Amino acid sequence: MHAPKPLTATRVAATCAALDSASWPAGAIVLRTAPDEAIVLVPTKDIEPGLIADPHAIVEIESSLCGIWLDADDAHDLLERECDWETPSARPAFAQGAVAGLPVKLWFEHDRVLFVVSAVFANDFMERCR
Amino acid sequence: MSKESVLAHLWQQQGDPTRGGSVCAAGDCQSCLATIDGIAYTRMCRTPWRDGMHVEPHPHGDQLPALESRGNRAATIARTMHCDVVVIGQGSAGLAAAAEARALGRDVVTLDTGDGQDAIGIYPGPLVVARTDAGMWHLYPRIEIVVATGAAEIQPVVPGNDLRGLVTARAAESLSAAGIDLGRIVAVGTPPREVACTVAVGALVRFEASATDASRVGAVIARDDRGVEQRHVCDTVSLGLGLAPRDALLRMARGTNVHGVGDVLRAPDLPPCPTAGIVCACLGVTVDDLRSVHARGFHELELVKRATLAGTGPCQGAACVPHVRAFLAAQGAALQPPFTARPLTRQITLGEVAAGAHHVATPRTALDAEHRALGAQMERLGGWWRPWHYGDVDAEYHAVRTAVSLCDVSTLGKMQVSGPGAVALLEHLYPVPIVSLKPGRSRYVLLLDERGYVIDDGMVCRDGETRFTLTFTSGGSTFAELWIRDWAESLNADVRIMNQTTSLGAINVTGPRATKLLALAGVTTPPAFLHHDTLDVAGICCRVFRLSFTGEVSYELHHAAADSVVLWRRLMELGRDLGIRPHGLEALMKLRLEKGHVIVGQDTDFDSTPRRLNHEWAVRLEKPAFVGRHAVIRTNAIPLDRQLCGFEMDGIAPAEGATIWHRDAFAGYITSATWSPTMRRSVMLGWLHLSNGELPTIITIDGRPARRVATPFYDPEGARARA
Amino acid sequence: MNEFVERLVDLRWPSAVKPAYDVVIIGGGGHGISTAYYLATRHGITNVAVLEKSYIGSGNSGRNTTIIRANYGIPEAVRFYQRSVDLYESLEAETGRDVMHHTKGLLWIAHSEAGVRQERARAEVNTAFGARTEYVSPRQIQEICPQLDMTGQGQWPIYGASYHPAGASARHDRVVWAYAEGAMRLGVDIHQHTSVTGLQKSGDRIVGVETTAGPISAGIVLSAVGGHVTAIAAMAGVRLPIRTHQLQAFVTNRYAHTFAPIVASSGLGVYASQTAKGEMLIGAEIDRAPAYAYDAGHQFIRSCAFRSIALLPFLRDLKLLRQWTGVCDMSTDYSPVMGFTGAPGFLVTTGWGTWGFKAIPVGGEQMAALIATGRTPELIAPFSLDRFANDRTMADRGSAGTH
Repeated sequence: MHAPKPLTATRVAATCAALDSASWPAGAIVLRTAPDEAIVLVPTKDIEPGLIADPHAIVEIESSLCGIWLDADDAHDLLERECDWETPSARPAFAQGAVAGLPVKLWFEHDRVLFVVSAVFANDFMERCR
Repeated sequence: MSKESVLAHLWQQQGDPTRGGSVCAAGDCQSCLATIDGIAYTRMCRTPWRDGMHVEPHPHGDQLPALESRGNRAATIARTMHCDVVVIGQGSAGLAAAAEARALGRDVVTLDTGDGQDAIGIYPGPLVVARTDAGMWHLYPRIEIVVATGAAEIQPVVPGNDLRGLVTARAAESLSAAGIDLGRIVAVGTPPREVACTVAVGALVRFEASATDASRVGAVIARDDRGVEQRHVCDTVSLGLGLAPRDALLRMARGTNVHGVGDVLRAPDLPPCPTAGIVCACLGVTVDDLRSVHARGFHELELVKRATLAGTGPCQGAACVPHVRAFLAAQGAALQPPFTARPLTRQITLGEVAAGAHHVATPRTALDAEHRALGAQMERLGGWWRPWHYGDVDAEYHAVRTAVSLCDVSTLGKMQVSGPGAVALLEHLYPVPIVSLKPGRSRYVLLLDERGYVIDDGMVCRDGETRFTLTFTSGGSTFAELWIRDWAESLNADVRIMNQTTSLGAINVTGPRATKLLALAGVTTPPAFLHHDTLDVAGICCRVFRLSFTGEVSYELHHAAADSVVLWRRLMELGRDLGIRPHGLEALMKLRLEKGHVIVGQDTDFDSTPRRLNHEWAVRLEKPAFVGRHAVIRTNAIPLDRQLCGFEMDGIAPAEGATIWHRDAFAGYITSATWSPTMRRSVMLGWLHLSNGELPTIITIDGRPARRVATPFYDPEGARARA
Repeated sequence: MNEFVERLVDLRWPSAVKPAYDVVIIGGGGHGISTAYYLATRHGITNVAVLEKSYIGSGNSGRNTTIIRANYGIPEAVRFYQRSVDLYESLEAETGRDVMHHTKGLLWIAHSEAGVRQERARAEVNTAFGARTEYVSPRQIQEICPQLDMTGQGQWPIYGASYHPAGASARHDRVVWAYAEGAMRLGVDIHQHTSVTGLQKSGDRIVGVETTAGPISAGIVLSAVGGHVTAIAAMAGVRLPIRTHQLQAFVTNRYAHTFAPIVASSGLGVYASQTAKGEMLIGAEIDRAPAYAYDAGHQFIRSCAFRSIALLPFLRDLKLLRQWTGVCDMSTDYSPVMGFTGAPGFLVTTGWGTWGFKAIPVGGEQMAALIATGRTPELIAPFSLDRFANDRTMADRGSAGTH
C-alpha cells in the first residue's frame, strides 16, 4: 500500500442541530464522527461564518489526518482481512472503528473507499496493511 | 474426506501409521496424532496429503514433543465475513439446512470438515471461528448458526484397547473406500457398511495381541449370547459401539441463535460400565484409576476429571467422557452431564489463533522522524513514542539551564471547551475558581475524582468569555476526555468539546534565552507568565502559552500538527547561535524534579488526595461545589498518615522505589530521584509516613542519611520562570 | 496405576448437615477450606461447616493460573504474600500430600525505561520486606530463560527484569483437596451442592444461614465466596467496594519440560509458565468491563496468543488445548478485603482479584486466627474493610498486575 497522504480538513464541534442543518461547501466530504462533531474535507477558510448556526461552534484546522483511496475491490479485501466489524452497505456512507487494530474512519463511495487515519498512526497503518 | 488425508496416504504407502488405540479417522480421537511439518499434535486423518510433507510419529509413552517452533512459516491469514447463516458441517443434515436457508434468500457460509474447514469455537458475537486450509475465518452470522456436526463413534474401553489394528466402523468404511487393505476384519457391534468382514456376535471383552507383532491386535474376544467368550482371530477389528453427539459447539453457543440438525441432536449412547483397560488414551488413565479416585471420595464427573486428568488431553474428553459417565452411573449416582463445553473443539496453533491480531499501537508525534534523525533513543512513555535522550543528557540539561532548548510536548492532552455552559462545567470539574480567570490567563489545575483522589493535572487557559483550552498529561488525555464528556452529559451542560490532542503539535521553548529565540522568530511582545496569546512564530501560527515545567522561562507553542516539522527546524536554525539543542524526557525528568513538580502516575498513586500530595493550595474548598469536594472535606478530617515530600542527600541518587527509614522503622519510599548537577546533591520526591503525628526531618534512604526539605529545590521563588 | 492418581488425597464426606455449627463458611474454594483447615489444626475449632454450591474448588480456585509469588508493590502486601510463599513451601510436608509445588523463579520483564524503573522499584520494596527480588540484566535474563526473544520481535526489546526466585506454582485442585482432607479428618464438615439462600438475623447480628439443605445456626458466618460476594454481603446489609471482572487464560497441549521459569511482561500484558503436565499456561490482564459470566472470548485469545508469541516465539507452533475464564473480585484499591464487616457475626474474605490462589494458605491462616481470637491479626489489619471509610486504602500498583 502507498503511504496515506495528508488531508486538508476542518474539524467542527457544534450542536447536533447546527451540524444537521449546516450547508457545507458543495461536494465536500463530511465525516460525521459524532452527533456533535464533523470533519469536513475542505480548507478551514471555506467554512464561512454563518455556515454553522451555532455561535459557540469550535471550527479548527485539522491537519493531522492522512487518507488513502482504494478501489472497491482492494478495500473489500483489506477490510476482510483487517476489520472485524460489519461496514455499511449504503453508498455513500461513513463508518469508523478499528481497522488493523488502529482507529480508522472510512468514507464509502460507489467504486472507492477513503481510509482516513491520524498521522500519529500513519506508519503503523501502512505497515499493517501492506 | 474429499482430499486424500495423510492417514490414508501413509497407510496406503507403508501400512498402518498409527501408534495404537482405536482409530476413528474422523478427528475425534488421538490415535493418529503425528508431528507434521514441524507441528506436533496434528491429526493425520484431518490433514490433506501434499507431496514433500514431513511426517514424524508422535512420541511414545511418557515422551512429549519438543517445546519448539521450527523455521519460518508464512503468517496465517485471517478473514472476517458477515453473512446471514453459518452452517457447520456438510453431511446430509448440514447440506439440507444450507439449501433451505439459501432458498429463503439468505446469505449462507458453510463449513465442511471434509474440505478442511473446522469450526473451533462459537464465541459471543455470535462469532464462529474456523480453521481452513486457506487461513482462519471469523464468521459473524446475522440470523443464525446451524450446527450439523453429527456424532462421534464410541471408542472401546476393554483390555488391549491400546493395540494397533482397531478401527471404528466408519473408519473401516472410509479406509476401505480409500483402497486400503485392512486384512481380515472382525466387526464388533454395528458392522461397517460395504466392507467385507466377519461379525463377532455379543459383547466386547478384550483384544489380544498378535503372536507376531505384540503391538498389533491378533484376536478379539467377545462374549456371545450364552455368556461364552469367543475368540475371533483377525488383522483388524471394526468397532460399531454406538454414537455420542458432537454437540460441544451447540452447548457452548447457548444463548445465541443457534440450532442443531441431524445426528448432533441424538441422545448419546451410553456404553457399558468399563471394567478394565485404558479410559483416557490422551493421559493414560485406566479404569483402575477411576475406581481408585472414586474410593477416595471423588464422585463428580468434574472432580474425577481433575483428579485423574481424564478428558484434559487433545481429544478434550471426546473418547473418555461416555465411559466415565457410564462408570459413575454404575456407582449409583445419577447420570451426570458432560463437561462444560468451551473452545476449542478442534486444535489449532497459537500462530493460527493469533492470525490478524496486532499490538496496541503506540502513536508517534509529527516530529518522530525529526527526533530519530537527531539520534534520539525513542521510548514508549505515557502512551507515546517519545525521545528519551539525544545522546548527551548532561548537555541537554545544561542547554535548558543556561541557554535555550526545545522539547516536543505534542503528546500533552489538549482540549477546547466552548459554550454558554463552559464556565459552570469547568467550575464543577476543577477544584479552583474558573469564573475569576481572565481571558488570556492560564491556571494550573488538579483533576479530582469523586473520592477526592488526584487523577490528572494540567492547565486551564481562558480564551474568551465562553471558551477555554484545557491541557492534560500525555497519559491522561484519553481518560480526561471521557471524564469531561461524561460530566458535561450528566450536568446537561451547554458546551461543545473538541479533543485536539493529536491534531495539534506542541513545542516547548525553554531556557534563559527562550525569549531571545522567540524574538528572533519574530515575536516582539511575548505573553507574560501564565498568559497566552495567538502569535506568528517563525511564520507559523501558534498559540503561545507562557508557563514553566523546567523552572526556566518557557513558551509552549501549540500549532497545527502539519506545521510541526517546519516550526521545529526554523527554531533550531534560529537558535543555533544561542546554543540551542533539544532535550529528551530523561533531562526533563531531572529539570522538573529540581523544581519539585509532581508527575501524576509516577509520584502519585491512585489514592493520592491533594493533602497527601501537599497540593492543598490547588484546592479551594470555599468553592461550594466541585467533583471530589465532599470526599476531600471528609478525608481532611482524618489524621494524615503520609505525605509526598522533597528530600535531599549527598552522593548519587538512590533507585526510584528505594525505601525510606526513620529510626529503624519503615517510613516510606522514593518516587523520583536524580542527581542535581546544579545543586550538586541528590534531590528526591517520595512518600513519607508521619511518626507521632509529625513528618520526620532526618531519615535514612539507601542506608545513607537524608533530609526532608521544602520544594522546589531549585529557584524556590520561581524568579527564573517569571523572568 | 497412574502416578497422578496414586498420590491423591482421601476425601471423607460428612453424611448430613447439622442444624448448628460454631462457624459456617460460605464457599468451598481455597480460602473457605483453608480457613476451616487452620481453624481445626491451629485452634482446635472443628465444629465448622463449609458450604459449597457446586463441588469443592469449582470456582476460581480451579480456574486460576496457579502462580505463587510475593513480589508486590507495597510493604503490607509483600509481607502478607511472603507468608503465603512460606506456607506453600511447607504445605506438602505439613499435609503429607503432593500438591505438585515447584519453585520456578519469576521474571517480570521491562521493555522500556519506564518499565525498568518499575522493576527496580519492585526489587527495592520486596527486598526491604523479606521477599527476595533482584533486578537482572538482559544477559542474566537469557541465562534464566533462553527461549525469550530479547528483541521482542523487533518491537518489544527486553531492557531488564526483576527476578523473584521464590516464584512458584502448585496444582490448584490439589491445594484445595489437601486442605479439605486435612480439615475433614479433624471433623470439619464440607457440604457440596449446598447453596446459601439467605442469612439469619437476630437484631443486627448474623446468627446463621438459610440453605438448600435447610437452616443452619452459626456462631460466626464467613463469606469466602468468589464472584457473588456483593450479593451475599448485601444479605447482611454490608456494602462492599468490589466489582467483578473476567480473567481469561489458556493452555497448550503437553510438551517436553524445558521451560523452567514463570515469565511476565507488563508491557505486553501476558505471562507464561509450563505446568507440571507440560502444558504452556498463558494468561493476560483482566477484562475492564465488569462481568460475572464464565464465557470465553475470542478477542482475548487472539490478542493474547499474538502478544505471547512476540515474547516467546516458540509458542507459534504449539497447539492450543483449551481456554477458560475465571472471575475476579476487585476492590477499588486492588487489595483484598478481610475480616469484620460492621455486621456482628458476619465476616468476609474477598477482593481476591488476580491474587486469590497465591494467598490461600495465608488467607486461611489469618482468617482462622481472627475467628479464633476475635481480634484482627497484625498481618491482615491493613486489609480490613474499614480502611475505605478511614482513608487508609492499600493502593498497590504492583498488585494491579495480571497474575
